[in-house]
Amino acid sequence: MDINFIGLILASIMASAVPLILASCGELITERSGVLNLGVEGMMIIGAISGFALMTVTGNLFIAVIGAMLAGLLISSIFAFLTQTLITNHVATGLALTIFGIGISAMIGKNFVGIPGKEFPVLFDGLKDTIPFLGPILFGHSVVFYFAFALPFLTNFFLKKTKIGLIVRAVGDSPVSASNQGINVKLVRYSCILYGGAMCGLAGAYLSMIYTPQWIENMTGGRGWIALALVVFSTWNPIKILFGAMIFGGLTIIQFHMQAIGVRIPVQFLSALPYIITIIVLVVISRDSRKIRLSTPSSLGKSFYKDN
Amino acid sequence: MNTNLKILNVTKIYPGCIANDSVSLEFESGKIYALLGENGAGKSTLVKILSGVIMPDEGEIFLNKNILKLNSPLDAKKNDIGMVFQHFNLFETLSVFENLIIDSDETKENLREKIKLTMKKYNFSINLDIPVLNLSAGQKQKVEIIRCLIRNPKVLIMDEPTSVLTEQETSELFLSLKKFSEEGILIIYITHKLKEVMQLCDEVAVMRKGKLVSISQIKEENIESLANKMVGQNLKTIKKKKITQSSSDLLIKITDLNFTSEDPFETNLKNINFSLNRGECLGIAGISGNGQSELFQILSGEIISNKSSIEFNKNFIGDLNPQERREYLMAFSPEDRLEQAAIPQMKIFENVALNNFKSSNFFNNGLINENKIKEHSKKIISDFNVNTDNIELKSQFLSGGNLQKLIIGRELITSPDLLICFNPTWGLDVGAINYIHETLIKINEQNKSIILISTDTDELLKLSDKISVIHKGKLSKIMEGDEVTSEKLGMLMGGGEID
Repeated sequence: MDINFIGLILASIMASAVPLILASCGELITERSGVLNLGVEGMMIIGAISGFALMTVTGNLFIAVIGAMLAGLLISSIFAFLTQTLITNHVATGLALTIFGIGISAMIGKNFVGIPGKEFPVLFDGLKDTIPFLGPILFGHSVVFYFAFALPFLTNFFLKKTKIGLIVRAVGDSPVSASNQGINVKLVRYSCILYGGAMCGLAGAYLSMIYTPQWIENMTGGRGWIALALVVFSTWNPIKILFGAMIFGGLTIIQFHMQAIGVRIPVQFLSALPYIITIIVLVVISRDSRKIRLSTPSSLGKSFYKDN
Repeated sequence: MNTNLKILNVTKIYPGCIANDSVSLEFESGKIYALLGENGAGKSTLVKILSGVIMPDEGEIFLNKNILKLNSPLDAKKNDIGMVFQHFNLFETLSVFENLIIDSDETKENLREKIKLTMKKYNFSINLDIPVLNLSAGQKQKVEIIRCLIRNPKVLIMDEPTSVLTEQETSELFLSLKKFSEEGILIIYITHKLKEVMQLCDEVAVMRKGKLVSISQIKEENIESLANKMVGQNLKTIKKKKITQSSSDLLIKITDLNFTSEDPFETNLKNINFSLNRGECLGIAGISGNGQSELFQILSGEIISNKSSIEFNKNFIGDLNPQERREYLMAFSPEDRLEQAAIPQMKIFENVALNNFKSSNFFNNGLINENKIKEHSKKIISDFNVNTDNIELKSQFLSGGNLQKLIIGRELITSPDLLICFNPTWGLDVGAINYIHETLIKINEQNKSIILISTDTDELLKLSDKISVIHKGKLSKIMEGDEVTSEKLGMLMGGGEID
């Protein structure tokens, strides 16, 4: 096999990991502040239809991408208002958000089915052939792609090295203590939820504008749930999310190829393989219970309200 | 520089209860003030108001004659009021340093330098770079104190600071507090422990049911006078008759009990051996987190052990679950009343039914026999002085004292041979503590036995015929109750040796 061909396969694996990385890193920040938002799938699909619709209507890719992020943010603000201001249950509200997102995206999307997407510009395309193997991996991708692969490291830096990151972790650890220290818990949690929403919106836009530039109903296809699982099984560690997303992306691509070659394993089993193996691998690499305890946000999913 | 803190007519009303009823107090720096009262007397509400956590409905606070508006904890901090809460306000998974820098405006280097100087000055020694959950309770409290000190506070409020400390840690704390006071920090010390007030403070204010009932100099008071003011009635002191000659009727024997946990935050038990005769109370002392909860779980059957490691009434029962052990006439009162002992959302009589014996006929062919259970519950409530007549009440609405009476009653009404209890009076007020202690003494008089695991040394000295200390999962040798002193216990609890 040609070494450039392997490079190409690797690049396609990385491309399929992009939406998972974006959504997971967004959700990770939300969860680190103690909020469990199960609406990832819903926010992604809203991002997907918003991005695609804005691209078709305005023809401006920049507006479309920003619009998709704002749409994700907007729908997550419903979740934020319900869970933080009206103190509703995180789990139920998140599930409702997903159902709402899937429904409303299908409704808006009716007029956009079958419309071809626009080509999204790629960077450094000319450099692709200059280096064997590494060329296709490093060059010729969209700006969102590069952002996605920088995001886990930025997230890690944010959480570990910045004051605001410390405050987010503190709120997730103990909102009561944080409040007693004079930290505005609601403000922190609102911000984290909105940020998570924007990242999920971007992940959706990547799917409908760059990865497979078209609108298909339900096109996120459960990636939101995988992103959620990645956050948990990575034990809230952004670097492990990168790792998990790559495994999942890789297995998805490989099982496609296996189906194409005609390996005599039931198709259903092959399709399920990425889900099973990703979870097994992440469970195995995250078995240190001490580290789990230190990185799990203790207040995850618990409502906080201040008594006065 | 002198500090003067004045509280004027502060009132705070919660639905169904007046937490603070027009409280007025004045404090001057250079003295240590005690704010004394039972649980629910309104002390905590008052200090929460002083630290900006909650806002009063009426009344004003003055610092050095200037009116203070404390709308949030930040306002208290800005006005140099430092507060060490009873339940620590620390972030367990963050490192000590991260906990301290989170509300500081200084650079990392400056802050680290400042913390080191403060620790040196007061002889504290804490590793700044390990997560807080690896610290002992005493160390956690020091982190809280450092957090206040690095802001150069004028006022330092301590809310029940010794409830988690050993004797040694307590005396260290007192030395530090006296030093702070000499340096001009005004100290307000909240407690319900009378001994500490006498030891540490200069003036004492007593609160009862939201009202301030007295302000006096310590010199004019003694433990009895303060206790009576606090409770509002004359308390009888209970004393246990010490058993002069030990019976030789063996009830329970623990042999070579070991426990290794997979959870690094639990304590492993190493080679536990002891035995207990009928009619005796064995006290097990120790600082919390030294294996008490693991030992309780093994004795109660929540954790199954080797069949032969526990011999009870000539039966080997190490492999039985709690319900099966109850059939052998063991009874249990766990530490956490609302999580382990009772289910908060269930009604009183439903909680009673959870303790189901074959002989009690609570269930007929899988159906609940409600009348039978209710009858049984009413008997417990009247026999054990639970202050409610509504057995349909959800148990979360019972006060701590009433809930503990209900739990002890539920366990004792079948007259078991052995009661194992874990911190039975934790967080209760003096009246309820007295009642529980009387009940435990009565059990021993009926020739029944008790294993009392407790972090309260006074309680252990009062009730135990034999005492042992658990430290890092190891049990010290068993000592006779009357040859033990709190100093000796303190030594052993801190991991020291006695001859």
